[in-house]
Amino acid sequence: MRKAFAEALFQAAEKDPRVIFLTGDLGFGTFDAYQAKFGPRYVNVGVAEAQLVNAAAGLALEGWRPIIYSIASFATGRPFEQIRISVGYAGLPVVIIGAGGGYTYASSGVTHHAGEDLGLMSLIPGMTVVAPGDPNEVAQLLPQLLKLSGPSYLRVGKYGEPAYQADDAVVLGRARLLREGNGADFAVVSTGQITSVVLDALELLKPDGIAPTVMQFHTVQPLDIVALDSLAKKVQTIIVVEEHMPVGGLAAAISTWRAARVSGPRIVRLGPPQALLLGNPTVPEMRKRLGFDAQAIAEMCRTIARPASRGGSVSAAQPANARLTSDPT
Amino acid sequence: MAFDGREGHLSSALSCTDLLVALYNGWLNVSPDKPKAPDRDRFYFSKGHACTALYAALADAGFMPKQTLSSYGKTDSPLPNHSCRHALPILENSAGSLGHGLGLATGALYGLRLDNNPARAVVLMSDGECNEGSVWESAMFAAAQKLGNLLAIVDNNGLQAVGRSDVLMGHTSLEEKFRAFGWAARTINGNNMTEIVAALADVPFEKDRPTAIIAKTVGGSGIKFMEDQVLWHYRTPSEEEKNRALAELGEAPLQKELSHA
Repeated sequence: MRKAFAEALFQAAEKDPRVIFLTGDLGFGTFDAYQAKFGPRYVNVGVAEAQLVNAAAGLALEGWRPIIYSIASFATGRPFEQIRISVGYAGLPVVIIGAGGGYTYASSGVTHHAGEDLGLMSLIPGMTVVAPGDPNEVAQLLPQLLKLSGPSYLRVGKYGEPAYQADDAVVLGRARLLREGNGADFAVVSTGQITSVVLDALELLKPDGIAPTVMQFHTVQPLDIVALDSLAKKVQTIIVVEEHMPVGGLAAAISTWRAARVSGPRIVRLGPPQALLLGNPTVPEMRKRLGFDAQAIAEMCRTIARPASRGGSVSAAQPANARLTSDPT
Repeated sequence: MAFDGREGHLSSALSCTDLLVALYNGWLNVSPDKPKAPDRDRFYFSKGHACTALYAALADAGFMPKQTLSSYGKTDSPLPNHSCRHALPILENSAGSLGHGLGLATGALYGLRLDNNPARAVVLMSDGECNEGSVWESAMFAAAQKLGNLLAIVDNNGLQAVGRSDVLMGHTSLEEKFRAFGWAARTINGNNMTEIVAALADVPFEKDRPTAIIAKTVGGSGIKFMEDQVLWHYRTPSEEEKNRALAELGEAPLQKELSHA
Protein backbone atom coordinates (compact mmCIF):
# COMPACT_ATOMS: atom_id res chain seq x y z
CA MET A 1 0.00 0.00 0.00
CA ARG A 2 2.85 2.36 0.74
CA LYS A 3 4.31 1.91 -2.72
CA ALA A 4 0.85 2.52 -4.17
CA PHE A 5 0.58 5.65 -2.06
CA ALA A 6 4.00 6.97 -3.16
CA GLU A 7 3.00 6.42 -6.80
CA ALA A 8 -0.42 7.99 -6.34
CA LEU A 9 1.21 10.96 -4.61
CA PHE A 10 3.63 11.41 -7.50
CA GLN A 11 0.79 11.37 -10.00
CA ALA A 12 -1.31 13.76 -7.95
CA ALA A 13 1.58 16.22 -7.73
CA GLU A 14 2.16 15.97 -11.47
CA LYS A 15 -1.49 16.69 -12.14
CA ASP A 16 -1.96 19.49 -9.62
CA PRO A 17 0.84 22.03 -9.05
CA ARG A 18 -0.73 22.97 -5.69
CA VAL A 19 -0.13 19.53 -4.18
CA ILE A 20 2.60 19.70 -1.54
CA PHE A 21 3.90 16.85 0.61
CA LEU A 22 5.08 17.23 4.20
CA THR A 23 6.55 14.45 6.30
CA GLY A 24 7.29 14.20 9.98
CA ASP A 25 10.72 12.73 9.27
CA LEU A 26 9.39 9.39 8.04
CA GLY A 27 9.35 7.45 4.79
CA PHE A 28 13.06 6.81 4.24
CA GLY A 29 13.56 6.02 0.56
CA THR A 30 9.83 5.90 -0.14
CA PHE A 31 9.58 9.38 -1.61
CA ASP A 32 12.95 9.72 -3.34
CA ALA A 33 11.40 9.94 -6.81
CA TYR A 34 8.88 12.51 -5.61
CA GLN A 35 11.54 14.59 -3.90
CA ALA A 36 13.81 14.52 -6.95
CA LYS A 37 11.00 15.69 -9.20
CA PHE A 38 9.16 18.19 -7.04
CA GLY A 39 11.97 19.69 -4.92
CA PRO A 40 10.48 22.30 -2.58
CA ARG A 41 7.08 20.61 -2.72
CA TYR A 42 8.67 17.99 -0.47
CA VAL A 43 9.09 19.27 3.09
CA ASN A 44 10.56 17.34 6.01
CA VAL A 45 9.45 19.32 9.07
CA GLY A 46 11.31 17.00 11.43
CA VAL A 47 9.99 14.90 14.28
CA ALA A 48 7.45 17.60 15.05
CA GLU A 49 3.90 16.46 14.42
CA ALA A 50 2.26 19.60 15.82
CA GLN A 51 4.26 21.68 13.38
CA LEU A 52 3.58 19.17 10.60
CA VAL A 53 -0.15 19.79 10.95
CA ASN A 54 -0.03 23.53 11.63
CA ALA A 55 2.33 24.20 8.71
CA ALA A 56 0.01 22.17 6.47
CA ALA A 57 -2.93 24.23 7.69
CA GLY A 58 -1.02 27.44 6.92
CA LEU A 59 -0.31 26.14 3.42
CA ALA A 60 -3.95 25.18 2.91
CA LEU A 61 -4.98 28.71 3.93
CA GLU A 62 -2.88 29.92 1.01
CA GLY A 63 -4.55 27.60 -1.48
CA TRP A 64 -2.12 24.68 -1.38
CA ARG A 65 -3.23 21.03 -1.19
CA PRO A 66 -1.04 19.65 1.59
CA ILE A 67 -0.64 15.92 2.12
CA ILE A 68 1.02 15.13 5.42
CA TYR A 69 2.66 11.86 6.34
CA SER A 70 3.68 10.06 9.49
CA ILE A 71 3.20 6.71 11.21
CA ALA A 72 -0.51 6.42 12.00
CA SER A 73 -0.09 6.56 15.77
CA PHE A 74 2.03 9.73 15.49
CA ALA A 75 -0.07 11.27 12.72
CA THR A 76 -3.34 11.11 14.64
CA GLY A 77 -2.89 10.93 18.40
CA ARG A 78 0.08 13.19 18.85
CA PRO A 79 -1.19 16.24 16.92
CA PHE A 80 -4.86 15.64 17.67
CA GLU A 81 -5.15 19.19 19.01
CA GLN A 82 -3.64 20.69 15.86
CA ILE A 83 -5.90 18.55 13.65
CA ARG A 84 -8.94 19.50 15.73
CA ILE A 85 -8.24 23.23 15.74
CA SER A 86 -6.06 24.25 12.81
CA VAL A 87 -7.50 21.76 10.31
CA GLY A 88 -10.92 20.73 11.63
CA TYR A 89 -12.19 24.03 13.03
CA ALA A 90 -10.92 25.85 9.96
CA GLY A 91 -12.32 23.13 7.65
CA LEU A 92 -9.15 23.05 5.57
CA PRO A 93 -8.43 20.48 2.83
CA VAL A 94 -5.44 18.80 4.46
CA VAL A 95 -4.96 15.09 3.67
CA ILE A 96 -3.48 13.22 6.62
CA ILE A 97 -1.74 9.95 5.84
CA GLY A 98 -1.37 7.45 8.68
CA ALA A 99 1.18 4.86 7.61
CA GLY A 100 0.99 1.55 9.41
CA GLY A 101 -2.56 2.12 10.58
CA GLY A 102 -4.26 -0.20 13.03
CA TYR A 103 -1.86 -2.88 14.25
CA THR A 104 0.43 -2.97 11.21
CA TYR A 105 3.29 -2.42 13.65
CA ALA A 106 1.98 -4.96 16.16
CA SER A 107 5.46 -6.30 16.84
CA SER A 108 6.90 -2.82 17.45
CA GLY A 109 4.94 -2.32 20.64
CA VAL A 110 2.23 -0.10 22.03
CA THR A 111 3.84 3.21 20.96
CA HIS A 112 3.43 2.13 17.34
CA HIS A 113 -0.07 0.68 17.59
CA ALA A 114 -2.82 2.78 16.06
CA GLY A 115 -5.86 0.86 17.23
CA GLU A 116 -7.68 4.19 17.62
CA ASP A 117 -6.67 6.09 14.49
CA LEU A 118 -10.03 5.80 12.71
CA GLY A 119 -11.87 6.68 15.90
CA LEU A 120 -9.79 9.76 16.64
CA MET A 121 -10.18 11.06 13.13
CA SER A 122 -13.90 10.23 13.02
CA LEU A 123 -14.33 12.48 16.05
CA ILE A 124 -13.34 15.55 14.03
CA PRO A 125 -16.45 17.17 12.48
CA GLY A 126 -16.18 17.23 8.69
CA MET A 127 -13.30 14.75 8.53
CA THR A 128 -13.51 12.11 5.81
CA VAL A 129 -11.95 8.91 7.16
CA VAL A 130 -10.73 6.28 4.77
CA ALA A 131 -9.04 2.88 5.21
CA PRO A 132 -8.29 1.24 1.86
CA GLY A 133 -8.03 -2.53 1.78
CA ASP A 134 -5.46 -2.98 -0.95
CA PRO A 135 -2.97 -1.01 -3.05
CA ASN A 136 -5.51 -0.39 -5.81
CA GLU A 137 -7.93 1.25 -3.40
CA VAL A 138 -5.14 3.53 -2.16
CA ALA A 139 -4.42 4.59 -5.73
CA GLN A 140 -8.12 5.13 -6.46
CA LEU A 141 -8.99 7.00 -3.28
CA LEU A 142 -6.15 9.52 -2.95
CA PRO A 143 -7.19 11.55 -6.02
CA GLN A 144 -10.77 11.58 -4.72
CA LEU A 145 -9.64 12.88 -1.33
CA LEU A 146 -7.77 15.68 -3.09
CA LYS A 147 -11.05 16.89 -4.59
CA LEU A 148 -12.65 17.42 -1.19
CA SER A 149 -13.03 20.93 0.18
CA GLY A 150 -12.44 19.70 3.74
CA PRO A 151 -9.98 17.51 5.65
CA SER A 152 -9.43 13.79 5.29
CA TYR A 153 -7.54 10.91 6.84
CA LEU A 154 -6.15 8.04 4.80
CA ARG A 155 -4.92 4.95 6.62
CA VAL A 156 -2.34 2.96 4.71
CA GLY A 157 -0.66 -0.26 5.78
CA LYS A 158 2.89 -1.01 4.76
CA TYR A 159 4.38 -2.88 1.81
CA GLY A 160 3.17 -5.94 -0.03
CA GLU A 161 -0.48 -6.25 0.98
CA PRO A 162 -2.30 -8.57 -1.44
CA ALA A 163 -4.49 -6.96 -4.07
CA TYR A 164 -8.00 -8.23 -4.67
CA GLN A 165 -10.35 -8.07 -7.61
CA ALA A 166 -13.89 -6.73 -7.60
CA ASP A 167 -16.13 -5.29 -10.29
CA ASP A 168 -17.54 -2.54 -8.10
CA ALA A 169 -15.76 0.78 -8.56
CA VAL A 170 -13.85 2.43 -5.73
CA VAL A 171 -15.97 5.49 -4.98
CA LEU A 172 -15.26 7.66 -1.97
CA GLY A 173 -18.14 7.52 0.50
CA ARG A 174 -19.61 4.38 -1.00
CA ALA A 175 -19.18 0.88 0.39
CA ARG A 176 -17.65 -1.42 -2.17
CA LEU A 177 -19.32 -4.72 -2.96
CA LEU A 178 -16.55 -7.30 -3.17
CA ARG A 179 -18.56 -10.52 -3.32
CA GLU A 180 -22.26 -10.97 -3.96
CA GLY A 181 -23.78 -13.37 -1.44
CA ASN A 182 -25.28 -16.64 -2.55
CA GLY A 183 -28.04 -17.91 -0.30
CA ALA A 184 -26.56 -16.66 2.96
CA ASP A 185 -28.69 -14.34 5.06
CA PHE A 186 -25.73 -12.54 6.53
CA ALA A 187 -22.99 -10.24 5.28
CA VAL A 188 -19.39 -9.69 6.26
CA VAL A 189 -18.24 -6.09 6.16
CA SER A 190 -14.82 -4.71 6.97
CA THR A 191 -12.50 -1.78 6.52
CA GLY A 192 -8.80 -1.46 5.83
CA GLN A 193 -6.18 -4.13 5.38
CA ILE A 194 -8.16 -6.83 7.20
CA THR A 195 -10.42 -7.00 4.13
CA SER A 196 -8.07 -9.35 2.28
CA VAL A 197 -8.24 -11.67 5.30
CA VAL A 198 -12.03 -11.66 5.01
CA LEU A 199 -11.62 -12.80 1.43
CA ASP A 200 -9.26 -15.55 2.62
CA ALA A 201 -11.99 -16.65 5.02
CA LEU A 202 -14.40 -16.87 2.12
CA GLU A 203 -12.08 -19.36 0.43
CA LEU A 204 -12.11 -21.47 3.61
CA LEU A 205 -15.92 -21.47 3.51
CA LYS A 206 -16.19 -22.82 -0.03
CA PRO A 207 -16.30 -26.49 1.09
CA ASP A 208 -19.14 -25.55 3.44
CA GLY A 209 -21.12 -23.96 0.64
CA ILE A 210 -21.41 -20.74 2.63
CA ALA A 211 -21.18 -17.55 0.57
CA PRO A 212 -22.08 -14.34 2.39
CA THR A 213 -22.17 -10.89 0.84
CA VAL A 214 -18.84 -9.15 1.42
CA MET A 215 -18.54 -5.39 1.48
CA GLN A 216 -15.51 -3.21 2.06
CA PHE A 217 -16.25 0.05 3.85
CA HIS A 218 -13.08 1.83 2.81
CA THR A 219 -14.86 5.05 3.80
CA VAL A 220 -15.65 4.94 7.51
CA GLN A 221 -16.77 8.58 7.68
CA PRO A 222 -19.12 9.61 6.26
CA LEU A 223 -20.60 6.13 6.66
CA ASP A 224 -22.45 4.75 3.63
CA ILE A 225 -25.90 4.57 5.16
CA VAL A 226 -27.53 3.90 1.80
CA ALA A 227 -25.53 0.68 1.47
CA LEU A 228 -26.40 -0.35 5.02
CA ASP A 229 -30.11 0.36 4.54
CA SER A 230 -30.01 -1.74 1.42
CA LEU A 231 -28.11 -4.52 3.19
CA ALA A 232 -30.66 -4.44 6.01
CA LYS A 233 -33.35 -5.52 3.53
CA LYS A 234 -31.35 -8.56 2.54
CA VAL A 235 -29.65 -9.98 5.62
CA GLN A 236 -30.37 -10.87 9.24
CA THR A 237 -26.83 -10.41 10.49
CA ILE A 238 -23.89 -8.17 9.67
CA ILE A 239 -20.50 -9.43 10.82
CA VAL A 240 -18.10 -6.52 11.14
CA VAL A 241 -14.40 -7.33 11.01
CA GLU A 242 -12.02 -4.53 11.92
CA GLU A 243 -8.42 -4.03 12.90
CA HIS A 244 -9.26 -1.24 15.31
CA MET A 245 -10.38 -1.07 18.91
CA PRO A 246 -14.16 -1.28 19.39
CA VAL A 247 -14.53 2.36 20.43
CA GLY A 248 -14.71 4.57 17.38
CA GLY A 249 -14.20 1.97 14.70
CA LEU A 250 -16.39 0.65 11.89
CA ALA A 251 -18.42 -1.60 14.17
CA ALA A 252 -19.16 1.36 16.41
CA ALA A 253 -20.20 3.47 13.44
CA ILE A 254 -22.46 0.70 12.12
CA SER A 255 -23.92 0.16 15.59
CA THR A 256 -24.79 3.84 15.72
CA TRP A 257 -26.57 3.46 12.38
CA ARG A 258 -28.38 0.39 13.75
CA ALA A 259 -29.34 2.19 16.98
CA ALA A 260 -31.19 4.80 14.94
CA ARG A 261 -33.48 2.10 13.49
CA VAL A 262 -36.40 0.39 15.21
CA SER A 263 -35.44 -2.91 13.67
CA GLY A 264 -32.64 -4.23 11.57
CA PRO A 265 -29.89 -6.75 11.37
CA ARG A 266 -27.94 -8.05 14.31
CA ILE A 267 -24.38 -6.70 14.48
CA VAL A 268 -21.57 -9.10 15.37
CA ARG A 269 -18.04 -7.80 15.69
CA LEU A 270 -14.67 -9.48 15.28
CA GLY A 271 -11.56 -7.50 16.11
CA PRO A 272 -9.15 -6.52 18.85
CA PRO A 273 -10.56 -5.64 22.28
CA GLN A 274 -10.43 -2.22 23.97
CA ALA A 275 -7.13 -3.05 25.64
CA LEU A 276 -3.41 -2.61 25.44
CA LEU A 277 -1.74 -5.07 23.13
CA LEU A 278 1.36 -6.32 24.90
CA GLY A 279 3.76 -9.08 23.94
CA ASN A 280 4.86 -7.61 20.58
CA PRO A 281 3.23 -10.32 18.43
CA THR A 282 3.55 -10.49 14.66
CA VAL A 283 0.44 -9.41 12.75
CA PRO A 284 -0.69 -12.99 11.92
CA GLU A 285 -0.10 -14.06 15.55
CA MET A 286 -2.07 -11.10 16.83
CA ARG A 287 -5.02 -11.72 14.51
CA LYS A 288 -5.07 -15.39 15.49
CA ARG A 289 -4.82 -14.76 19.22
CA LEU A 290 -7.39 -11.99 19.18
CA GLY A 291 -9.81 -14.06 17.14
CA PHE A 292 -10.06 -12.23 13.84
CA ASP A 293 -7.85 -14.19 11.47
CA ALA A 294 -9.27 -16.04 8.45
CA GLN A 295 -10.05 -19.17 10.51
CA ALA A 296 -11.89 -17.19 13.18
CA ILE A 297 -13.86 -15.21 10.60
CA ALA A 298 -14.81 -18.44 8.78
CA GLU A 299 -15.83 -20.06 12.05
CA MET A 300 -18.06 -17.13 12.92
CA CYS A 301 -19.65 -17.36 9.47
CA ARG A 302 -20.35 -21.07 10.06
CA THR A 303 -21.90 -20.27 13.44
CA ILE A 304 -24.14 -17.61 11.95
CA ALA A 305 -25.05 -19.81 9.00
CA ARG A 306 -26.12 -22.78 11.16
CA PRO A 307 -29.92 -22.66 11.56
CA ALA A 308 -29.61 -23.94 15.16
CA SER A 309 -27.86 -20.78 16.20
CA ARG A 310 -30.70 -18.50 15.16
CA GLY A 311 -31.74 -16.43 18.10
CA GLY A 312 -29.09 -18.00 20.25
CA SER A 313 -26.13 -16.19 21.64
CA VAL A 314 -23.15 -15.53 19.46
CA SER A 315 -19.94 -14.43 21.02
CA ALA A 316 -16.68 -13.67 19.37
CA ALA A 317 -13.66 -15.79 20.17
CA GLN A 318 -11.81 -14.48 23.19
CA PRO A 319 -8.06 -13.92 23.19
CA ALA A 320 -6.47 -17.30 23.83
CA ASN A 321 -3.48 -15.81 25.52
CA ALA A 322 -4.41 -13.52 28.38
CA ARG A 323 -0.92 -12.08 28.47
CA LEU A 324 -1.41 -10.67 25.03
CA THR A 325 -3.86 -8.10 26.28
CA SER A 326 -3.93 -6.44 29.61
CA ASP A 327 -6.35 -4.20 31.33
CA PRO A 328 -4.40 -1.52 33.18
CA THR A 329 -7.09 -1.41 35.86
CA MET B 1 -16.72 45.66 25.62
CA ALA B 2 -15.59 43.45 28.49
CA PHE B 3 -18.35 44.89 30.65
CA ASP B 4 -21.12 44.61 28.04
CA GLY B 5 -20.00 41.19 26.83
CA ARG B 6 -19.44 39.90 30.37
CA GLU B 7 -16.10 38.45 29.39
CA GLY B 8 -12.78 39.41 30.90
CA HIS B 9 -9.23 38.92 29.71
CA LEU B 10 -8.78 42.68 30.06
CA SER B 11 -5.28 42.27 31.40
CA SER B 12 -4.21 40.37 28.26
CA ALA B 13 -6.07 42.73 25.92
CA LEU B 14 -4.73 45.95 27.38
CA SER B 15 -1.13 44.73 27.47
CA CYS B 16 -1.04 44.30 23.68
CA THR B 17 -3.14 47.32 22.67
CA ASP B 18 -0.12 49.55 21.98
CA LEU B 19 1.37 46.82 19.79
CA LEU B 20 -1.84 46.51 17.79
CA VAL B 21 -2.09 50.29 17.38
CA ALA B 22 1.45 50.39 16.00
CA LEU B 23 0.84 47.44 13.65
CA TYR B 24 -2.44 48.76 12.23
CA ASN B 25 -1.29 52.36 11.90
CA GLY B 26 0.96 52.08 8.92
CA TRP B 27 3.19 49.07 9.46
CA LEU B 28 0.99 46.19 8.32
CA ASN B 29 0.33 46.13 4.61
CA VAL B 30 -3.41 45.55 4.96
CA SER B 31 -6.36 47.54 3.71
CA PRO B 32 -10.05 47.53 4.58
CA ASP B 33 -10.78 48.11 0.89
CA LYS B 34 -9.05 44.89 -0.09
CA PRO B 35 -9.00 42.69 3.01
CA LYS B 36 -8.11 39.62 0.95
CA ALA B 37 -5.51 41.22 -1.34
CA PRO B 38 -3.12 38.42 -2.35
CA ASP B 39 0.00 40.34 -1.31
CA ARG B 40 -1.37 41.63 2.00
CA ASP B 41 0.61 40.96 5.14
CA ARG B 42 -0.82 37.96 6.97
CA PHE B 43 -1.57 38.88 10.55
CA TYR B 44 -2.24 35.98 12.92
CA PHE B 45 -3.61 37.05 16.26
CA SER B 46 -2.75 33.95 18.25
CA LYS B 47 -3.74 35.01 21.78
CA GLY B 48 -7.44 34.71 20.98
CA HIS B 49 -8.62 35.35 24.53
CA ALA B 50 -7.43 38.96 24.17
CA CYS B 51 -9.54 39.56 21.07
CA THR B 52 -11.30 42.66 22.45
CA ALA B 53 -8.08 44.50 21.67
CA LEU B 54 -7.96 43.03 18.16
CA TYR B 55 -11.57 43.97 17.45
CA ALA B 56 -10.99 47.51 18.67
CA ALA B 57 -7.88 47.80 16.50
CA LEU B 58 -9.76 46.47 13.46
CA ALA B 59 -12.63 48.91 14.00
CA ASP B 60 -10.16 51.74 14.53
CA ALA B 61 -8.41 50.85 11.26
CA GLY B 62 -11.70 50.80 9.35
CA PHE B 63 -12.11 47.04 8.93
CA MET B 64 -15.54 47.19 10.54
CA PRO B 65 -17.92 49.86 11.80
CA LYS B 66 -17.37 50.84 15.42
CA GLN B 67 -21.02 49.95 16.08
CA THR B 68 -20.09 46.30 15.57
CA LEU B 69 -17.99 46.42 18.73
CA SER B 70 -21.12 46.65 20.86
CA SER B 71 -22.08 43.13 19.73
CA TYR B 72 -18.97 41.66 21.37
CA GLY B 73 -19.68 38.48 23.28
CA LYS B 74 -23.35 38.33 22.23
CA THR B 75 -24.81 35.14 20.77
CA ASP B 76 -24.21 34.89 17.00
CA SER B 77 -22.07 38.03 17.03
CA PRO B 78 -19.26 38.40 14.48
CA LEU B 79 -17.16 39.19 17.54
CA PRO B 80 -17.26 36.19 19.87
CA ASN B 81 -15.10 36.13 22.99
CA HIS B 82 -12.47 34.05 21.24
CA SER B 83 -11.86 35.23 17.69
CA CYS B 84 -13.50 32.98 15.09
CA ARG B 85 -12.88 33.14 11.36
CA HIS B 86 -16.31 31.69 10.61
CA ALA B 87 -17.87 34.60 12.49
CA LEU B 88 -15.46 37.23 11.15
CA PRO B 89 -14.04 36.09 7.79
CA ILE B 90 -11.58 38.99 7.45
CA LEU B 91 -9.43 37.23 10.05
CA GLU B 92 -6.59 34.98 8.90
CA ASN B 93 -7.22 32.50 11.71
CA SER B 94 -9.50 31.50 14.53
CA ALA B 95 -7.90 31.53 17.95
CA GLY B 96 -8.55 30.59 21.53
CA SER B 97 -6.28 27.58 21.84
CA LEU B 98 -2.67 28.69 22.27
CA GLY B 99 0.34 27.69 20.22
CA HIS B 100 -1.18 27.55 16.75
CA GLY B 101 -0.60 30.99 15.17
CA LEU B 102 3.13 30.62 14.69
CA GLY B 103 2.79 27.24 12.97
CA LEU B 104 0.09 28.55 10.63
CA ALA B 105 2.28 31.52 9.76
CA THR B 106 5.27 29.31 8.92
CA GLY B 107 3.24 27.10 6.61
CA ALA B 108 1.59 30.06 4.93
CA LEU B 109 4.95 31.79 4.40
CA TYR B 110 6.52 28.66 2.96
CA GLY B 111 3.71 28.53 0.42
CA LEU B 112 3.81 32.26 -0.29
CA ARG B 113 7.53 32.03 -0.98
CA LEU B 114 6.94 29.22 -3.49
CA ASP B 115 4.48 31.58 -5.17
CA ASN B 116 7.03 34.43 -5.16
CA ASN B 117 4.59 36.42 -3.08
CA PRO B 118 6.39 39.09 -1.01
CA ALA B 119 3.77 39.13 1.77
CA ARG B 120 5.05 39.07 5.32
CA ALA B 121 3.53 37.11 8.17
CA VAL B 122 3.14 38.57 11.63
CA VAL B 123 2.10 36.63 14.71
CA LEU B 124 1.07 38.33 17.92
CA MET B 125 1.31 35.80 20.69
CA SER B 126 1.47 35.75 24.45
CA ASP B 127 4.33 34.82 26.73
CA GLY B 128 2.19 32.18 28.40
CA GLU B 129 1.64 30.80 24.91
CA CYS B 130 5.38 30.14 24.76
CA ASN B 131 4.81 27.42 27.37
CA GLU B 132 3.40 25.38 24.50
CA GLY B 133 5.86 22.98 22.87
CA SER B 134 4.28 23.56 19.47
CA VAL B 135 5.66 27.14 19.52
CA TRP B 136 9.19 25.78 19.59
CA GLU B 137 8.52 23.20 16.89
CA SER B 138 7.40 26.13 14.74
CA ALA B 139 10.36 28.28 15.78
CA MET B 140 12.75 25.51 14.70
CA PHE B 141 11.01 25.11 11.35
CA ALA B 142 11.00 28.87 10.68
CA ALA B 143 14.76 29.10 11.20
CA ALA B 144 15.47 25.91 9.22
CA GLN B 145 13.45 27.24 6.28
CA LYS B 146 15.00 30.73 6.60
CA LEU B 147 11.63 32.45 6.77
CA GLY B 148 12.96 35.99 6.78
CA ASN B 149 9.47 37.41 6.20
CA LEU B 150 8.24 36.15 9.55
CA LEU B 151 7.79 38.40 12.57
CA ALA B 152 6.68 37.03 15.92
CA ILE B 153 5.78 39.55 18.58
CA VAL B 154 5.55 38.13 22.07
CA ASP B 155 3.36 40.14 24.40
CA ASN B 156 5.50 39.56 27.46
CA ASN B 157 3.15 40.88 30.13
CA GLY B 158 4.50 38.35 32.62
CA LEU B 159 1.06 37.19 33.67
CA GLN B 160 -0.66 33.90 32.97
CA ALA B 161 -4.07 32.58 33.90
CA VAL B 162 -3.05 31.55 37.40
CA GLY B 163 0.62 32.42 37.71
CA ARG B 164 3.57 34.45 36.51
CA SER B 165 5.27 33.44 33.27
CA ASP B 166 8.78 34.18 34.54
CA VAL B 167 8.32 31.64 37.33
CA LEU B 168 6.71 29.09 35.06
CA MET B 169 9.55 29.43 32.54
CA GLY B 170 12.21 29.01 35.22
CA HIS B 171 13.43 32.64 35.00
CA THR B 172 14.80 32.11 31.50
CA SER B 173 14.91 34.67 28.74
CA LEU B 174 12.50 34.53 25.80
CA GLU B 175 14.91 36.56 23.70
CA GLU B 176 17.72 34.08 24.33
CA LYS B 177 15.43 31.17 23.58
CA PHE B 178 14.44 32.57 20.19
CA ARG B 179 18.11 33.36 19.45
CA ALA B 180 19.05 29.81 20.35
CA PHE B 181 16.45 28.63 17.84
CA GLY B 182 18.14 30.64 15.11
CA TRP B 183 16.04 33.80 15.17
CA ALA B 184 17.05 37.43 15.33
CA ALA B 185 15.48 38.74 18.52
CA ARG B 186 15.23 41.98 20.48
CA THR B 187 13.50 42.97 23.70
CA ILE B 188 11.64 46.28 23.86
CA ASN B 189 9.17 48.13 26.04
CA GLY B 190 5.94 47.05 24.44
CA ASN B 191 3.92 49.85 25.96
CA ASN B 192 6.21 52.56 24.62
CA MET B 193 5.06 53.65 21.18
CA THR B 194 8.41 55.14 20.21
CA GLU B 195 10.23 51.90 20.97
CA ILE B 196 7.62 49.78 19.20
CA VAL B 197 7.71 51.90 16.06
CA ALA B 198 11.52 51.93 16.04
CA ALA B 199 11.71 48.15 16.39
CA LEU B 200 9.13 47.56 13.66
CA ALA B 201 11.06 49.88 11.35
CA ASP B 202 14.10 47.59 11.75
CA VAL B 203 12.27 44.39 10.77
CA PRO B 204 13.74 42.11 9.53
CA PHE B 205 16.56 42.44 12.02
CA GLU B 206 18.73 40.08 9.98
CA LYS B 207 18.40 38.84 6.42
CA ASP B 208 16.96 35.31 6.02
CA ARG B 209 16.24 34.97 9.71
CA PRO B 210 12.81 35.14 11.31
CA THR B 211 12.44 38.09 13.68
CA ALA B 212 11.18 37.99 17.26
CA ILE B 213 10.24 41.08 19.20
CA ILE B 214 9.90 40.38 22.90
CA ALA B 215 7.62 43.17 23.99
CA LYS B 216 7.82 43.72 27.73
CA THR B 217 4.39 44.93 28.61
CA VAL B 218 2.23 45.50 31.63
CA GLY B 219 -0.92 43.44 31.99
CA GLY B 220 -3.91 45.79 32.19
CA SER B 221 -1.70 48.61 30.92
CA GLY B 222 -3.24 52.06 31.32
CA ILE B 223 -5.61 51.24 34.16
CA LYS B 224 -3.80 51.50 37.45
CA PHE B 225 -5.92 49.13 39.53
CA MET B 226 -5.64 46.40 36.90
CA GLU B 227 -1.95 46.72 36.12
CA ASP B 228 0.14 43.60 36.71
CA GLN B 229 -2.65 41.83 38.59
CA VAL B 230 -3.20 38.12 37.83
CA LEU B 231 -6.79 38.64 39.02
CA TRP B 232 -7.60 40.61 35.87
CA HIS B 233 -6.83 37.76 33.52
CA TYR B 234 -10.37 36.47 34.01
CA ARG B 235 -12.27 39.10 35.99
CA THR B 236 -15.00 41.07 34.27
CA PRO B 237 -15.36 44.60 35.59
CA SER B 238 -18.27 45.72 37.75
CA GLU B 239 -20.17 48.89 36.82
CA GLU B 240 -18.10 50.83 39.32
CA GLU B 241 -14.82 49.36 38.07
CA LYS B 242 -15.78 50.08 34.47
CA ASN B 243 -16.49 53.72 35.30
CA ARG B 244 -13.22 54.07 37.21
CA ALA B 245 -11.30 52.55 34.30
CA LEU B 246 -12.94 54.82 31.74
CA ALA B 247 -12.32 57.84 33.92
CA GLU B 248 -8.64 56.92 34.15
CA LEU B 249 -8.41 56.59 30.39
CA GLY B 250 -10.47 59.75 29.86
CA GLU B 251 -12.84 57.78 27.60
CA ALA B 252 -16.61 57.62 27.28
CA PRO B 253 -18.45 54.28 27.36
CA LEU B 254 -18.73 52.65 23.93
CA GLN B 255 -22.49 53.22 23.60
CA LYS B 256 -22.18 56.87 24.50
CA GLU B 257 -19.37 57.36 22.03
CA LEU B 258 -21.41 55.68 19.30
CA SER B 259 -24.56 57.72 20.04
CA HIS B 260 -22.53 60.92 19.71
CA ALA B 261 -20.79 59.78 16.57
